[in-house]
Amino acid sequence: MKPALFLALLLVAVGAIAIGDPPVAFPDLAPLEKEVGEQIAAAQEKLTSLAGGETPAPDLAAAYGNLGMLYHAYSLGQPAEACYRNAARLQPADPRWPHALGVLLQDGGRLEEADAAFAWALQLQEKDVPALVRRGEIARLQGRTDEAEALLQKALAADPSSSAAQALLGQTALDRRDFAAAVRRLEAALAAAPGANRLHYLLAQAYRGQGEAAKAGEHLAQAGQVGVKPADPSTDEIEALRTGERIRLARAKTAYQNGRYAEAAALYRSVVADRPESTEGRINLAATLVQLGDRAAAVAELREALRRAPANPTAHFNLGTLLAAEGPSAEAREHLAAATAALPQDAEAHRALAEVLRNGGHPEEALAEYSRAVALDPGDERARLGEAETLVRLERYGTARERLEEGLKALPQSGLLTHGLARLLAACPDHSLRDGARARTLALAVWQAQPTPGHAETAALAQAEAGDCAAAARWQRTALEGAGSLPQTTVQAMQDRLAAYEKGAPCQP
Amino acid sequence: MIHMPMCEAHRLRFSALLAGVFLALPVRPAPPAPFVDRAAEWGLTFRYDTGSTGQLYYPEIVGGGAALFDYDNDGDLDVFLVQGTVLEPGKGAAHPIASAGGRLFRNDLIVNGVRHDKPHFVDVTEASGIKASGYGMGVAAGDFDNDGWVDLYVLNFGSNQLWHNNGDGTFTDVTRAAGADDPRMSLSAAAADLDRDGWLDLYIADYVEFSIDHNVVCYAQSSRRDFCGPSSFPPTPDKLLRNRGNGTFEDLSQKSGIAAKAGRGMGVVAADFDGDGLPDVFVANDGMENFLWKNRGNLTFEEVALPAGVAVNADGKVQANMGIAAGDYDDDGDLDLFVTHLDGETNTLWVNLGGGQFEDRTLQAGLGAPSLPFTGFGTAWIDYDNDGRQDLLAVDGAVRLIDAQAQRGDPFPYAQTHQMFHNVGGGRFTEVSREMGEPFQRAEVGRGAAFGDIDNDGDMDVLIVAANGPARLLVNEVGNRNPWLGLRLVGKPPGAKGERDMLGALVEIVRKGAPALRRRAATDGSYASASDPRVLVGLGDAPEVTEVRVTWPDGKSEVFPPPPLRAYTKLLEGTGRAPAPPEPPKKASPQP
Repeated sequence: MKPALFLALLLVAVGAIAIGDPPVAFPDLAPLEKEVGEQIAAAQEKLTSLAGGETPAPDLAAAYGNLGMLYHAYSLGQPAEACYRNAARLQPADPRWPHALGVLLQDGGRLEEADAAFAWALQLQEKDVPALVRRGEIARLQGRTDEAEALLQKALAADPSSSAAQALLGQTALDRRDFAAAVRRLEAALAAAPGANRLHYLLAQAYRGQGEAAKAGEHLAQAGQVGVKPADPSTDEIEALRTGERIRLARAKTAYQNGRYAEAAALYRSVVADRPESTEGRINLAATLVQLGDRAAAVAELREALRRAPANPTAHFNLGTLLAAEGPSAEAREHLAAATAALPQDAEAHRALAEVLRNGGHPEEALAEYSRAVALDPGDERARLGEAETLVRLERYGTARERLEEGLKALPQSGLLTHGLARLLAACPDHSLRDGARARTLALAVWQAQPTPGHAETAALAQAEAGDCAAAARWQRTALEGAGSLPQTTVQAMQDRLAAYEKGAPCQP
Repeated sequence: MIHMPMCEAHRLRFSALLAGVFLALPVRPAPPAPFVDRAAEWGLTFRYDTGSTGQLYYPEIVGGGAALFDYDNDGDLDVFLVQGTVLEPGKGAAHPIASAGGRLFRNDLIVNGVRHDKPHFVDVTEASGIKASGYGMGVAAGDFDNDGWVDLYVLNFGSNQLWHNNGDGTFTDVTRAAGADDPRMSLSAAAADLDRDGWLDLYIADYVEFSIDHNVVCYAQSSRRDFCGPSSFPPTPDKLLRNRGNGTFEDLSQKSGIAAKAGRGMGVVAADFDGDGLPDVFVANDGMENFLWKNRGNLTFEEVALPAGVAVNADGKVQANMGIAAGDYDDDGDLDLFVTHLDGETNTLWVNLGGGQFEDRTLQAGLGAPSLPFTGFGTAWIDYDNDGRQDLLAVDGAVRLIDAQAQRGDPFPYAQTHQMFHNVGGGRFTEVSREMGEPFQRAEVGRGAAFGDIDNDGDMDVLIVAANGPARLLVNEVGNRNPWLGLRLVGKPPGAKGERDMLGALVEIVRKGAPALRRRAATDGSYASASDPRVLVGLGDAPEVTEVRVTWPDGKSEVFPPPPLRAYTKLLEGTGRAPAPPEPPKKASPQP
């Protein structure tokens, strides 16, 4: 059987239609989101109508190309490829279609074919910088470092501001273990794109290669996951085609994560307006409204979300947390209890419930929740501190000290726990548990790491317990210097304590 | 049906003519495919069932695994395969409905000391007493009570199970009595003597926090419903269980420091990466930085992956780290790492520069571009052709919907083909998947893989677990054409009742006229699986071995005389000779 006939029969069998050469098999749109399906169906219809008549080649090419971009936007790779090839065949002078084809193939890991497509695009448009950068990237991935560098140099010559080309040249230098060149390139790329914190990792590798451990460490500490995005209008155009609730939610999430809260809120609002039952949209809108400072509106959205989906644990958690921030209300407790019941493994929810219980005067219940939170997430220093503070409130000082010691063993770098233990050792109501010398060591370590009035005050308490009232007074004065923003009653208490220290021994609290 | 009688007649006559012509020519048979799937032929009939509820619960896309271990001490590798279940909200972590749980298959290659010509597998699950009816994700193997019989640790979505090998063909669930449970979603575990006290400890790589009662709904880029990615679920800390040596374990997760960091652990290897004599732990985390827990002694660990250069790839990108191969592929005396990844990312080769500092040399090795279209899981350094250089096998299977397969109506559209990368020397690899035979042409949803010499013929075979597909037994048909030697490194630590495999032992094969070859005895690594603890060394064109040096897990070294070629030899700790003391440094001779 001839391949074409076989393909046609296959397409009939799956209910699809194929046109063009190579044939474009229209995909089954039923499983897609309705809005997406309608968008693609309209473009398919347009192509079908144009393909049936005597349409000028450029118009038909545009229809194929546009449909290809649409398929591409939704990762429907096979029909997208066929569309691009038809567009390129019908309008061979237009570099857009081989370029878009190259992007599609590169995304699919078909590097050799992608490289050929970009080379084709470059024949039609010599200074297609994005294509040059992509060819350079592909050559590097294929281990053709020299070719990669030549292509990237060419891109940089065409567009000296291309931080992507600069960064990739830094990476090829690293590949060659030419660390000095890597440093030069990567520093230049970082200067051009200072937000691209992933470059710090590359710089750390380069400096490590040069034996400059301190510089490597500095850059490692700044390394993140924001890379240099190569400028490519074709990918922006393809991305812009995506529509539907799901993509709006994804875009809103990106905007939120990048601190563009107004944009995120607008996107979430559009989702909720189109589909009021979208719980995800409503919960995320509430979270965004909190960032915008409108807590009342956030609470209203969460209440509405729970009216529509009464069991949603995220809505319960968020609403409980928001309400708890206003004070330990019964409603906050109720929502957080619902969240922990729904997600018994959620350590954060247990900790939030514990805080509400503790602040609401239920220390025994709070203690149980804190213990669950610590068991579920032993790295949660806030839960560990909360557990110890609750034990203090219950006058179980010895256990509180044990818990803090355990916490510090597990999390030796924890400033919170170090401070908590210093405070307990300095001023525990059970004097037998005090240890002024150790309290002082811990308090000074915390102060050195983070010089805040609270930490200075703890240092003062520790000095007093250790018997050095003069030092305690000095630390208390330091604490008071930074206490301007504290409530007057707190400041007064601190001044009273200073007076006690100034009187001299005994000055322990 | 198409009738073409005339054409058929012509073809027959034409064929006869051709046959007549070619009979006169010397015939060279096509070379055999290196790997042939003999699972069904040898009685290993098993299908890993993910449950396929249609709800796209996260565990349904990441399991399962297999163990190759000699549970009956008869000298051949038996098989344990974990099994999924149908997940239902409100029924706890796992609710067995259709499947019969994990299965134990006895290998009857050797029966009563008599070796047959090929393995035959018999399902002995019922007789063994194993009831692994949780949602099975992976498995680890090791003799945890030093009685000379290998035990099994089954990793589940939900509570894990420690099956004690009673030595009479049966197993007992001792999870609770041993304090060995971990209720989180666990995928892989490493059995290793982390405190060098002679007893195997357990490091369990836990994955994410997931609840079937509150499933998260995710979509593919096409807007079709699809499985979520790992970032949809919070990471969770791993678990470290210290073997007390009395049949029980102590949870040292917090005290050791490993609980301080939450990760999405998929693969785990315990080995000495920095050459200080203490086994460290490398954890492959999905969609986030890997962990390299440096062993500080006294079972305390410090996480050093970022400064060591193995947290992220050369570009500084976090990757979806899955399966691990740890081995000294360049025979320079330290362990290198190869980790499989998601499609769109390369698999990554981190070369150990010495002292536990690594450099990503994926692209230079030629391993980057070929892996981009694939999602890799199980993997290992295997010298499939016994040429003395360790090659790489990657078992592939997608986790993101492949739209072309979905459009064809495939009910589980995540199938990909497996890959083999041949080590051509000089730090370079070439993909040879197309030459590896039918098992490498067939697309399936590959997950765990266990590696070992299943037919004891001197070359490495592979047991592959495919999600919603039959288990594959890739039998190596070519490796033993080259000379090889096999070693079983055993010891009897103080207080032990029997000899056990000394997991973590390092062996150096010293050859005449060729560089020494370095290998590691271990069952961990790969993905969700436990491999053959024996060391199989291909010798290529330099088969003259002068001695074998072993560094045991307790740090002591011994030298053994050359063992016979083309055979397995047991090396017992304490029966070798002490290595010669290092020679004093010679004075530098003046350069001409």
